[in-house]
Amino acid sequence: MELYVRSDTVVSRVIAGETLIVPISKGVGDLASIYSLNPVATTIWEAISHPRSKSEIVQVIAREFETENTQLERDVEAFLAEMESVGLVTELGVAAST
Amino acid sequence: MNTATYGEFSLALHQRFGNKRVPLEATIEVTRRCPLDCQHCYNNLAMGDLAARNQELTKEEYFAILTELADMGVIWLLFTGGEIFARKDFLEIYDFANRKGFLITLFTNGILISEKIADHLREFPPFEIEITLYGRTRETYEKLTQLPGSYDRCLRGIRLLLDRGLPLKLKTVATSVNRHEIAEMKSFAEQELGVQFKFDGMINPRIDCSSAPLAVRLTPEEVVALEWQWPKVVTEHKSGLASAIAAPHVPGDRVYSCGGGVTAFALDPTGKMSICVLSHQDTYDIRAGSIHEGWEQFLQKVRQRKRQKISKCVNCRIRTACGMCPANGELENGDAESPVDFFCEVAHLRAMASGFDVPEHGECEFCAGGKSYSAVAQSAERILSREANPDEWVAARELLPILNSGQAQSGCEGGCGSAR
Repeated sequence: MELYVRSDTVVSRVIAGETLIVPISKGVGDLASIYSLNPVATTIWEAISHPRSKSEIVQVIAREFETENTQLERDVEAFLAEMESVGLVTELGVAAST
Repeated sequence: MNTATYGEFSLALHQRFGNKRVPLEATIEVTRRCPLDCQHCYNNLAMGDLAARNQELTKEEYFAILTELADMGVIWLLFTGGEIFARKDFLEIYDFANRKGFLITLFTNGILISEKIADHLREFPPFEIEITLYGRTRETYEKLTQLPGSYDRCLRGIRLLLDRGLPLKLKTVATSVNRHEIAEMKSFAEQELGVQFKFDGMINPRIDCSSAPLAVRLTPEEVVALEWQWPKVVTEHKSGLASAIAAPHVPGDRVYSCGGGVTAFALDPTGKMSICVLSHQDTYDIRAGSIHEGWEQFLQKVRQRKRQKISKCVNCRIRTACGMCPANGELENGDAESPVDFFCEVAHLRAMASGFDVPEHGECEFCAGGKSYSAVAQSAERILSREANPDEWVAARELLPILNSGQAQSGCEGGCGSAR
């Protein structure tokens, strides 16, 4: 099971209630871009301050937003893939499944 | 996840805060020491100025300040000087700021940039770097900077940054010394290097009250003639003037109307907080308090100060084309509310060259009926007919010291209030 964690090449700031992600070293997508997160994405971002599996992240979102939407897992997967593609999230490899 | 370009992000953030008073931008002068001795500079001190160095904030003080700025919500951070790399510990301060997630801009002359510095910046890139280029030839560059070898060192610094793909822009200060090389500098930046270039001809007296920089300030006609070679600048002036003149005029009752103290502030090398880097009559010592206190209490009071005079600026409708601000008034006249003739003439010339009649705004020598109106109108004609043609400018003749001294004098005779 893959674990996801925030890349150490970015830092996040909360400005006026909005989470912004700012690249601080090379290798992050587009340095001229600013990434901002909506509330759900912010919850995911907070969750991956330490390594989490996709299913753990889905559980966090389901609990936080009181939803059991079957779309949720696909949405989380797509979001993580997007974050990973621009270097905001690191995949740590495989952990023993529980 | 939303991804926004810098421009979209900046606009959205400023719109979201509207007229709220939030410190989004901070300018930090880490030192005023600089290896160059530029004739036009408003604040530089010698590299060997030990007294200046000993008064500078320490890196540990900067770490605490940067932490406080991040907590306050500052997004944009500008490091400037003096020369930022004159401080041997600058990269440590920069790294700390970078890890806090600021969008960092660096202003530098580039001459102290080494491979080590450039490599470090490649690993941890700032949002933007701006290098000031003072000439396109060694002779002109070093005539203004008064440091032999500085031209080659500047070009080396530029190359080191570009070779590493860093986000560099070039700019210059247009003076009587380098005015004939502005077009070549632009071409060098845009065509040869592929980076953006801009110039500014608005020179101020020094913050220590010396009016020496004014000796190399362009005339208003020269400033506008240069601008009129840049279609983008002309378009900006024309559209800004058209909107400002058409809009209903509501004169404010406060001294300040800029973003200083509303979304921005400056911090000098000794910890004095102010509206901007030019404004030094009202400063708050953060060593005796805190950034937060300076912002919430001191600068708020400065911003709320009501004007005491009804100058010709109050009802002026072409302020969008004018460089006048309270800090300029302080530096040039010793009074934040006293109009600076140079800026006033430049603004009227921009308006006339744009084809606008300046609406009456009190007793103004540059308006119709004023004693200098015809001279400004003639300047506008010369600019539009290309009789005043920057392409024909050549290197300035050397003035004999006795002749030069009438234009600019050192000391506190210019009425500057900064050293009070």
